[in-house]
Amino acid sequence: MARLSIDTLKKVYGDFNAVDNVTIDIADGEFLVLLGPSGCGKTTTLRMVAGFIAPSAGKIAIGERDVTNLPPWKRNCGLVFQSYALFPHMTVAENVAFGLEMRKLSPADRAPRVAEALRLVRLTGFDERYPRQLSGGQQQRVALARALAMQPDVLLLDEPLSNLDAKLRQEVRVEIRDLQRKLGLTTIMVTHDQEEALTMADRLVVMEKGKVRQIGSQRELYEKPADRFVAGFIGRSAFLDGEIAAPGRFRTAGGLEITSTAAKGTGPATLALRPERIAVAGDAAASANRFEARVEHVSYLGALLDVDVKLSGHDRMLLQIPNRQGGVEPKPGETITIGWAEDAGLVYPREP
Amino acid sequence: MSTIAPEPVAGGRTHLAGALVVPATIFVAIGLLGPIAILFRYSLNYFVPGQFMVDGLTIENYVKFFTDSYYLNVLWRTVRVSVICTIACLIMGFPLAYVLARTQSRFKNLMVIAVVLPLFVGNAVRSAGWMTAFGSRGALNASLMGLGIIDQPLEIMFTETAVIIGIIAVNLPFMVLTLQSVIEGINRNVEEAAFSLGAGPAAMFRRVLWPLAMPGILAGTILTFILAMNAYATPVLLGGPKFQTMGPLVYGQFAQQNNWPFGGAISFILMTATILLTVAANLIVQRRYR
Repeated sequence: MARLSIDTLKKVYGDFNAVDNVTIDIADGEFLVLLGPSGCGKTTTLRMVAGFIAPSAGKIAIGERDVTNLPPWKRNCGLVFQSYALFPHMTVAENVAFGLEMRKLSPADRAPRVAEALRLVRLTGFDERYPRQLSGGQQQRVALARALAMQPDVLLLDEPLSNLDAKLRQEVRVEIRDLQRKLGLTTIMVTHDQEEALTMADRLVVMEKGKVRQIGSQRELYEKPADRFVAGFIGRSAFLDGEIAAPGRFRTAGGLEITSTAAKGTGPATLALRPERIAVAGDAAASANRFEARVEHVSYLGALLDVDVKLSGHDRMLLQIPNRQGGVEPKPGETITIGWAEDAGLVYPREP
Repeated sequence: MSTIAPEPVAGGRTHLAGALVVPATIFVAIGLLGPIAILFRYSLNYFVPGQFMVDGLTIENYVKFFTDSYYLNVLWRTVRVSVICTIACLIMGFPLAYVLARTQSRFKNLMVIAVVLPLFVGNAVRSAGWMTAFGSRGALNASLMGLGIIDQPLEIMFTETAVIIGIIAVNLPFMVLTLQSVIEGINRNVEEAAFSLGAGPAAMFRRVLWPLAMPGILAGTILTFILAMNAYATPVLLGGPKFQTMGPLVYGQFAQQNNWPFGGAISFILMTATILLTVAANLIVQRRYR
């Protein structure tokens, strides 16, 4: 295991910047998740680390070793694919032994390491099966065992769970995380699934359009999103567009005056509020910012109610109200009071 | 891989499936099996010059073939040429098929058409073209002699080499197309997995790509081998009158010698040799890669 550093990495296709000056340092044993919408460059970044795509510029180093120009077979990166990519003509044991065979280990030396890798993923006794005889979850665990058996410096996971059904995904998620901790594996995982990212990562990298938007822990990303994109992408936010009227004062497009400690500077801006910071009805009585809102639409989501409200002709927002017994249950057409504290929101300059 | 019969469609339209295979079955029965059976019967008849064919039950035609070194040589030459052509097609076809299967180019369809294009030119036309190009007074020799590089024309036409080159040119597209479709079915990630596990290109090819492409390699080699064993136009036109292979030999017995019993026997020997060699090669390969 080793630390991994990605330094101003760039990949350009024609005049399209697939990956744009990405710099990430991953500590030894850290589980880092690259998160972003499809086409954000996260997979391209991972494939550059694996060696399948040559960077246009920048440097990749594993430990002290500069691997930027090494072919994939000399990088010692364990890779797990979304499609599993097991060798269909080999048994489970042969699949897991492949990396060791390529390192010229004798069959006698391979056997204990294959057995150990299969034990780690709880597939002892499946040695002689062929991949087609296994379920999706088992195949994915074989793929993991195959990557682990060769004792990689870095483990790379490319959307490893997206082909599994929801229940299995939960299980394998925990399993991968436990193994990663136990073995102290430096790991990069790529996913577009926010929940998956939040439950597994030590640290997350949010990417969009080839750029890193923010690197941080779950709490940092949720409570201090660096920009409007992250605020909308990690968790949910209610957004109000408007401008900063004066320090501490935000005026919405519909002319509502909001006091916000986050309003600094001047010019067009967006106020982002986390749904749980918005109080409704009686709870809103003591809020610094209080507004009458007309309920437009209500979606029943079980534990939560999604409520679309209109604050004025130009200001709409989406509330999330916990579905408590005896709590508020707004109906379309009603008017309810909502409110939030001065320090509840974050204000971002409007992006061009 | 096991093939599973499709579930009966609601409404029990399984009779339809039966009806669908009838036309092809009848065609094969009338057009192929019938004549072969008749041919086999003829091969057991006597040939009496002047009397054409006398009904009988004799293996003398087969004995004649296997005791005459001339005919055995023709068989051996045919097998040798076919094996060389098939191996050459595989060696040249695999890289081409791989590139075609893996290319992301928007010109992929054009590339596939370029591979198929030679098939638009019939064997006879192609061979005639070769004769004008490579004959002793052909374009190549004329140019080389005109430039003073050689003073005697190169003997390319009417040699075994000419026939081999000619058959390869005909058979290569079949090999490439067969391999391409199989390679396209191999997940690219599997190759990448092998690379990430420390396999260089050679090891990846030997341990992953080659065994996974084996169904295509078998289909392609069988196809090209059968085509080469039974080639007619190419050996006749490029090999010349003295270069005999099995296909022209059969035709000669029927059309020129009027010896139908012996022609029938040669046909059967050719067919049997082709089938035996194909099956034997398959067994060896499958034992190795299963």
